[in-house]
Amino acid sequence: MIGIVDATIHAGNFSLNNFSIEVQRGEYAVLMGQTGCGKTSILEAICGLRKIHSGKIYIQGTDVTNFPPGDRNLGYVPQDLALFPMLTVQKHLEFAMKIRKVASSIIADRTRYMSDVLGIDHLLSRRVQGLSGGESQRVALGRALAFEPSVLLLDEPLSALDEKTREEMQSLLLTIKQTTGVTTLHVTHNAKEAESLADRHFRIENGSIVS
Amino acid sequence: MSPSESSPRSVQLVPRRRSDAPFFIVMGGISACFVLLIVLLVAADLAFTSFAEFRSALAKPEIQAAFRLTLLSCTVAALLSVFIATPLGYLLSRYRFPGRFVIDTIVDIPIVLPPLVLGLSLLILFHLPIGSRGWELESWLRDEVGFQVTYRWPAVILAQFTVACAFAVRTMGVTFDQINPRAEHVARTLGCSRAQAFLRIALPQASRGMIAAFTIAWARALGEFGPILVFAGATRMRTEVLSTSVFLELSVGQLDAAVAVSLLMVCMAVVVLLVLRWLGTGLTT
Amino acid sequence: MKRFWIVFLALFVAVAAMVYQLAVTDSAASTKGGSPITMFCAASNQAVIEAIVADYKSEFDREVYINYGPSQGLLSQIEVSKTGDVFLPADDSYLKLAREKGLVREILPAAEMHAVIAVKRGNPKSIRSFDDLLRRDVRVVQANPDAAAIGKISRAALSKRELWKSIDEATAAYRGTVTEVANDIQVGSADAGIVYDAILHDYPDLAFIKIPELESAKSKVAVGIIAGSKNAKASLHFARYVTAQDRGMKQYLRRGFQTQSEEVWNDVPELNLFAGSMLRPAIEETIVEFEQREGVVVNRVYNGCGILVAQMKAGQHPDAYFACDNEFMSQVTDLFQPPVAVSNNELVILVQKGNPHNIASLRDLGREGIRVGIGHEKQCAMGWITQNTLREGGIEKEVMANVTVQSPTGDMLVNQMRTGSLDAAVAYLSNAAGSAEFLDAIQITGIKCSTATQPWAVARDSKFPNTAGRLFDCLTSPHSKEVFAAEGFQWQYDTLESKASE
Repeated sequence: MIGIVDATIHAGNFSLNNFSIEVQRGEYAVLMGQTGCGKTSILEAICGLRKIHSGKIYIQGTDVTNFPPGDRNLGYVPQDLALFPMLTVQKHLEFAMKIRKVASSIIADRTRYMSDVLGIDHLLSRRVQGLSGGESQRVALGRALAFEPSVLLLDEPLSALDEKTREEMQSLLLTIKQTTGVTTLHVTHNAKEAESLADRHFRIENGSIVS
Repeated sequence: MSPSESSPRSVQLVPRRRSDAPFFIVMGGISACFVLLIVLLVAADLAFTSFAEFRSALAKPEIQAAFRLTLLSCTVAALLSVFIATPLGYLLSRYRFPGRFVIDTIVDIPIVLPPLVLGLSLLILFHLPIGSRGWELESWLRDEVGFQVTYRWPAVILAQFTVACAFAVRTMGVTFDQINPRAEHVARTLGCSRAQAFLRIALPQASRGMIAAFTIAWARALGEFGPILVFAGATRMRTEVLSTSVFLELSVGQLDAAVAVSLLMVCMAVVVLLVLRWLGTGLTT
Repeated sequence: MKRFWIVFLALFVAVAAMVYQLAVTDSAASTKGGSPITMFCAASNQAVIEAIVADYKSEFDREVYINYGPSQGLLSQIEVSKTGDVFLPADDSYLKLAREKGLVREILPAAEMHAVIAVKRGNPKSIRSFDDLLRRDVRVVQANPDAAAIGKISRAALSKRELWKSIDEATAAYRGTVTEVANDIQVGSADAGIVYDAILHDYPDLAFIKIPELESAKSKVAVGIIAGSKNAKASLHFARYVTAQDRGMKQYLRRGFQTQSEEVWNDVPELNLFAGSMLRPAIEETIVEFEQREGVVVNRVYNGCGILVAQMKAGQHPDAYFACDNEFMSQVTDLFQPPVAVSNNELVILVQKGNPHNIASLRDLGREGIRVGIGHEKQCAMGWITQNTLREGGIEKEVMANVTVQSPTGDMLVNQMRTGSLDAAVAYLSNAAGSAEFLDAIQITGIKCSTATQPWAVARDSKFPNTAGRLFDCLTSPHSKEVFAAEGFQWQYDTLESKASE
């Protein structure tokens, strides 16, 4: 699960004061709001990449407010994907597991499984430069999910895609939701995505409201 | 029919008289002036000396010793510069810490200061008596550590390093500015510590920048003269680098030898620049 | 990731290897043929010193590292870093300045240079006089008077004639060193400049003009040993080589310098010193220190002055003579340069400790039963002065009746006093000073000539006059002065400032 309790964030020239969110285990939550009103900052706070000035953050029921990002067991897909330019697709999938010193046989299994689900096994040996928008998106998802985190954070994953690719991605996200059951917080400004994917809806308006 | 009532589609298509030629001529002309100046300088040097003089100047043991010292000291200074500039550039680029502006300005000082001031400051630093006993850095190093700096080769490297590193930090700062910090953030969420994110994600992307920083540092070290003269002296066979050789040959009226050494330095610079450029392009494939 | 560490390690090893290379060649230079010497040399002397150093290296296989620059700039470097062994400015005024600051010890004179006007060969602008320099169409460059010696002396010479202002205004540019001035004229960016005549040896395209206004602008080139040098012996060895007539000075002559030094080269010079034996306790230690510092040998012959003078008259010529009294120096003045008075020693009456015979004056020496010892009149100054003193006091006959022994030296009298074979002796205060545990000294009052004055002189035909001069500097140093005082001498020699005769 994901929980934010009574947190305050200062970001740039605005701040979010004393807001709370709770996403139950296995739920797919969508957070909506205008661009620039702090959606990315909330995700960064959950990741541990941005300091919160008060309040607490919970993941899987544990208070992770003071944990470093690497110990929070979450997968993060930023808006610009931020792929690793020098690594191959395969290396992207293996990355988190290699850092955690997972056994190589397990790495090989999970990589195979992930590339299968995401449909990128034909790209495994390619460098990430030169991939299409959709392919890059899949690689980013694979990187975030390959080590089986309990939480998945998506920042506007479908905004930069064309019509057809967006539909493919939406069904892919549904598949992931069903196969892995990972707790997901999906941030977007597009209402249509919210409709098809969300179990719960949140909206930012000087705090959060369940809608 | 008045023109305003006629349909826009019926205008006759005629290319306007203007061509792009004047643009290229002017831009090219301005650029060519500088290129021409450099070419003329080198050509003048070539015309002043002859190949025989060039050969005999290079055969002098002092020049050969200076050549060797120059190669070694410039390379060491440049490597040290990159080694220091990379973490420093990373810190300045990524983190907004209190006093960042001050550090940034301090790092820029060697770029702005006249080189002689740097050399003099180094000399004073090593010989400043501190405290009632008159403790001096130089005496301590010489007597306790057994490592003399002033007027020896470490002084040459230190003088070169002080300026070269400042340029290298600038370059590395810009390099890291251009690398997406988000990739490191993602790496950290995937389990990397800050160190791992730096080493695995940021550094490999910075390799071209590091080569550029090394090039700039090496070039700056090669051209260094003032600080070396004041801090390391111009002792033949000991702290003479090629830039000092030109000065020394000039001061005995040996203009031929001075020009010969100058041409040697031009050749060295060209070779090193080419090698580094080739290395740099090789990495992007 | 692995690739990064491999590259990093490779670069680290490369840096270590390069640093090692640098360190090895640097220290290799210092072990071959003895420790190297570091020299600060004025730009004007670069050509001649390089020639001398080449000769020196081939003869003695010792490395000499040279820093070139303008004289004042070099002095500043020495002042800040307090390192280095030898300093050779273009003008000895810088050495005197350095000595006052305690930066330089010994100074060895070398050569002389004169200030002249340099022009391109053929004198295209027809410059013949000082006024020609002020012409509009003549571009004049000079060396900076505050940095270079040539600038300093020409400014001094011209200021005395009230001509400095006009040439200052006419000067197009000031350069750092005298060679830069010559370069400018050679290249053609200047028409005339003030340089040293000696450097023009290396500029075949230039000629020089002598003008009366610069007549007094002369520089004495001298070599100074830096006080902080860790290698005084090697430095002095090299400095002596540079200033030796048959070594370094040959190169100087060849290049148009006027030489000043009269010293002849020797790897380990041997000086012969004749000194009155009473001087031994005062000078022996100083001489040994001098020997060690300079790496020379000083053969000391201590004896009664009468004996020494006889030897000199018989044909033995020492390099220097430190006499017990002016009287004996005057007997050999033709052999020496004008002597200098160094110290005084007065005669005293030596008695056994406690003065058992109650001797209070010279008169008492004439009493019945007193055995007296005095110096031999002919053999030593002490004896001669004693005779004069007795004569002055009018007691010559009485005292001479009691004289049982006449020795050539005061030491012998002291020994005889110790063995008890004498009751009293007339000797020097310095003899008493050395035996205060068992002798007392009674002052002789009222007789002026009972005081001896010790003069020093260097031989006219000495092969090592400069080295002898440096020995004299050592003997007249403050430390030596203290030793003399402790031995009972009175100091006579005035300090450096009042020595106007140099």
